[in-house]
Amino acid sequence: MSMRKMTKAEWAAFLSGDREEGRRRIMGEHIEKSPGWQAEAAAIERLLKETEAVKAEIREAAASVNWDTLPAMIADRALAAGVQARRNVADSPRWGWLASFPLKPVLAGLAAGLVVGAAAMYFTLRAPGVRRGQDNAYYASGDFLDRAELEMARRNTLDYLEKSQYVLLDVFESADEGPVVPPALRSERARDLLQKKKYLNAQLERFQMAKAKVLCDQIETLFLELSQLDEELSAAELGRIRGFVEERQLLLKINLVKKELQSGV
Amino acid sequence: MRKTSLVICLALVLGLGQAASDRAGVQAATDESLFREAKLLVFDKNWPAALGKIDELIDRFPASPLAGQALFYKGECLGGLGGRERDALRAYKSYIRLEDAKPSLVEESEGSIVDLAYDLYQAGDASALRDIESRLDHANKVIRYYAAYKLSLIADKKEAVKAVPVLSRIVETEKDPELLDRARIALLRVSPESLKSAEERQPRTAEMTGRTLHLRIRAAGQKEPAVSLNIPFALADLALSALDDEDKAELRKKGYDVNRIINEMAKSKESILRIVGEDGTVFEIWID
Repeated sequence: MSMRKMTKAEWAAFLSGDREEGRRRIMGEHIEKSPGWQAEAAAIERLLKETEAVKAEIREAAASVNWDTLPAMIADRALAAGVQARRNVADSPRWGWLASFPLKPVLAGLAAGLVVGAAAMYFTLRAPGVRRGQDNAYYASGDFLDRAELEMARRNTLDYLEKSQYVLLDVFESADEGPVVPPALRSERARDLLQKKKYLNAQLERFQMAKAKVLCDQIETLFLELSQLDEELSAAELGRIRGFVEERQLLLKINLVKKELQSGV
Repeated sequence: MRKTSLVICLALVLGLGQAASDRAGVQAATDESLFREAKLLVFDKNWPAALGKIDELIDRFPASPLAGQALFYKGECLGGLGGRERDALRAYKSYIRLEDAKPSLVEESEGSIVDLAYDLYQAGDASALRDIESRLDHANKVIRYYAAYKLSLIADKKEAVKAVPVLSRIVETEKDPELLDRARIALLRVSPESLKSAEERQPRTAEMTGRTLHLRIRAAGQKEPAVSLNIPFALADLALSALDDEDKAELRKKGYDVNRIINEMAKSKESILRIVGEDGTVFEIWID
């Protein structure tokens, strides 16, 4: 054997023991004399060992294959895939060109990015001009609804105070000249005002209308009593209620809070 | 007898007259005087002192006809004290179970139960919501409506939407404008699409109130509106009154107030009212 450089195939045949004995011996002597050849032999030997491990797995997998039926199975699946591909193309002819496009992951990501970016740009930059007849769904921001509720609280508190004033004045007149409003009706009005007050409570607390709340609470306690009295009160009793309202200056306080509410909260 | 006792009750409550009738004995005068003092303290929101009187009345005179009613006021005191909401709930629930409970006080108790349950929920007790939800189908509509209104204020939309059927029913059937507006705003907050459906279903809807008011406000040179809302025309007055003070000032400078805008909208239903303020703010209002 000449000392020309050995090919990978020759190395492989030598190391795997495929060469005849005489040739193997000569090659062995040459390798022993040359450190470069020794290193190359060691590297190729390592590679062959690793390859052997993979080969074992391949052999195992190959053993599990039924080589008799495999060709038929491959043919069946290939035919079925062809039919499905034709059906997909037929179902969406406008996008059929995409089926032939090799959508590599990077390309797919790029396409998805473009779609998302375009959508984001549309929603960000579109001018929300007047589009009559197309936009009839109700909507309002939470902030705006809060302001609307505050406005409602102002109006409803004013209304509550005015109605309370009427009921109290009725009690006053009744004390002077006898009953003006039938007691049952007075009781009913008191109950109506109690109902209204429930809704006001939430708003008065929420919007920190403290002064109005204190006054409305006092009137509420009075109406709680009036709502339970469905029979005629004597002039004496009405007179006493009148004295109580005067003592607490309820009508004056009602007027003051009304003025504040009328000029804005 | 009923008349006499009620009159006596009021007179005693207000502390302005001779308390007891000749027929009332020493014990009656005592429990009644305790009750009267307690109510006066409630009126002045002196909760600890009022609670003391109520407890004394219940302890000393458990068989008194006033002991039952005292439970209601006990609930008021405990609720007013703060931190004793669960005790207050128990007191109200005990009161409404009484056979001789007064209808007006039962209604008040139910409303207070809803309020207390709401407060407990806001403080982190999720189970308290049951007390509100269970009242959504209460036989008394006053209680049903109030439970739905309070539920709509809850931030958790999954819970708040349970109020939608009752609120929609209010929009469809109720005549009281105050209740109607509250229900509309509550629905706008929780489920605007349900408000739309309810408005469309209600047979008594007038031509204008069934329409949608659109409002867009753009600052000078801006395409994106600072304010953008679509609401039932029925809420137009309220919505326009709820505009920012600055926006209202701009409109006033151009000679517009809420009434004028509403009148112009009502007259020219199809056109867009476009007002450009002195600072360049553009107001666009139209009805569909």
